[in-house]
Amino acid sequence: MDNILDVRNLSVSFKTFFGEVEAVRDISFTVGRKQTVAIVGESGCGKSVTANSIMQLLPMPPAFFKSGKILFKGEDLLKRTDKQMEEVRSSQISMVFQDPMTSLNPTMKIGSQIVEGIQKHKNLSRRDAKKKAIEMLELVAVPEPEKRVNQYPHEFSGGMRQRVMIALAMVSNPELLIADEPTTALDVTVQAQILEIMKDIQEQMGMSIILITHDLGIVADMSDKVLVMYAGQILEEGLTREIYKNPKHPYTIKLLESVPRLDMARNESLHSIEGTPPDLYIPPKGCSFFDRCEFALKVCKDYMPQFHQHNKTHKSRCWLNHPMAKGK
Amino acid sequence: MEPLISVKNLKKHFYVGEGVLKAVDGLSFDIYPGETFGLVGESGCGKSTVGKTIIRLYEPTDGELVYDGKDIYGLSRKEMQVIRKNFQMIFQDPYASLNPRMNVEEIVGEPLDIHKVYESKADKRNRIIELLELVGLNEEHSMRFPHEFSGGQRQRIGIARALSLNPKFIVCDEPISALDVSIQAQVGNLLKDLQDKLGLTYLFIAHDLSMVRYISDRVGVMYLGHMMELAKSEELYINPLHPYTKALLSAIPIPDPEIQKNRNRIMLEGDVPSPINPKECCRFVERCRYAIDKCSEETPEFKKIKEDHFVACHRVGVKYIEML
Repeated sequence: MDNILDVRNLSVSFKTFFGEVEAVRDISFTVGRKQTVAIVGESGCGKSVTANSIMQLLPMPPAFFKSGKILFKGEDLLKRTDKQMEEVRSSQISMVFQDPMTSLNPTMKIGSQIVEGIQKHKNLSRRDAKKKAIEMLELVAVPEPEKRVNQYPHEFSGGMRQRVMIALAMVSNPELLIADEPTTALDVTVQAQILEIMKDIQEQMGMSIILITHDLGIVADMSDKVLVMYAGQILEEGLTREIYKNPKHPYTIKLLESVPRLDMARNESLHSIEGTPPDLYIPPKGCSFFDRCEFALKVCKDYMPQFHQHNKTHKSRCWLNHPMAKGK
Repeated sequence: MEPLISVKNLKKHFYVGEGVLKAVDGLSFDIYPGETFGLVGESGCGKSTVGKTIIRLYEPTDGELVYDGKDIYGLSRKEMQVIRKNFQMIFQDPYASLNPRMNVEEIVGEPLDIHKVYESKADKRNRIIELLELVGLNEEHSMRFPHEFSGGQRQRIGIARALSLNPKFIVCDEPISALDVSIQAQVGNLLKDLQDKLGLTYLFIAHDLSMVRYISDRVGVMYLGHMMELAKSEELYINPLHPYTKALLSAIPIPDPEIQKNRNRIMLEGDVPSPINPKECCRFVERCRYAIDKCSEETPEFKKIKEDHFVACHRVGVKYIEML
């Protein structure tokens, strides 16, 4: 398949006073055209760092790229200058952030903010740009867009602001949209609206989406492919159906079990994963899930498992896949 | 069974620049000993205000709270302090609710100091260690400071503090919303274990309906300061009657791609309207697909539809149950 993004062996670290934090450790994945790839994991697993690395929005220093390539349509983004990167950001890759309250400028009218975005990469007069801004607000289903363009962010609710953020991301007609927890700050009924809008826009404009979230329900709803991240690594990758119907890695299995589900009978207690994720100052030598895993073998402690390909699209990183572990 | 606390027509209004913000507007419900009463709703519906008003962190505008045969809103400050031992609270944000300059021993021991319930220093220390062990921490944690703990552990410290005076009733205000899924389950299970061991009664406030279902025996659904529906937990999820409850349940994504993609979902239009100077009518009328003229003219009565199932809706009646 034609891949729009191809991340190869990416490692990102942060230099801090106490030492180096290895936030992302040797991850590789691809995003196909019109595909929605979800990155799931708990806080601190490196999912946002991955997203910000693609956009190169990480503050450097303290962050630095240790190794790897980020190929966007065959070209390595890490080799680009700041100026070239700005061009990519303004016209080819867009990002929607988690917090719609702080990502808009409170002193500028909504319309002016969108117009600014439009004029950055299109040679349009102010009047035409404003017309286009109204069109964009229509696209994200903001009611009464002619009136709304002249209002300030504080006159918008959380859900409406997130729509504006999506409109802003879409003005350049990007080929890739990175959505970093786009609905985490919103109520469930508003979340459902926003996700519906994102699906509609993808249908109309045909962009690829990288969706970062911790909510396994949203992943099931939106994505084609899932990457499960833990302690800076990808532990399992597969098509959404494969991950939910046939999870292979113990972490994925436990994570799916620990989510209470509305459509299932109520159990007496919830399945929890004991312990906490490891500290990435001193990442574990072996499997990063070792100390919380109930199936852990001796080998897991000191040796990092390699990916095992279950089929063409599904792979996981666990020693249990090894032929010698069959006897467990 | 006699209720442990009984809330009657509770109102909390705030006077803001533009008028009256009716955060809680006439809520009545009972909480029975040993049960978990779940209170759910979207942001701004008044659920946290209910929790805070019940333990009198806010003074109520109107209403009664009957505990042990007495209306505790009528008590003086001194009398209140005695009663307050029985009422404790666990807060949402484990980062903001612990004083960063106090170590764990001081945090958990502060309520003991205030109410002077120990005889000697050793007595106090033993109690603190007992509490820490109860919530899954241990003695060596007692000299550490909050920043040395993860979110889940901090929440455990908050729980230990709430338990220190042997309360009967605990208001849990979104105690697990700020935590990761795997940690949420840990803390959720801990709260359940403690309830079994110590015979606690919880008011569990949350916006995550799937978690509330696991923890609660009965669940109340709030919208803009009004109670919309109240039923036993299983009943509410299997057989929701109020259009708002239905929409709310339908908005929660189910972590299974096949079920999720083929689900018939009810989409609500628009946002929650402002709670400032609300009209006297059904609060949900603007977003309700079943609204009739009557709905925008009078507030529906919160009435019993069947055993243990209450709904405030004009359209839900014997005749309409099937239709809705």
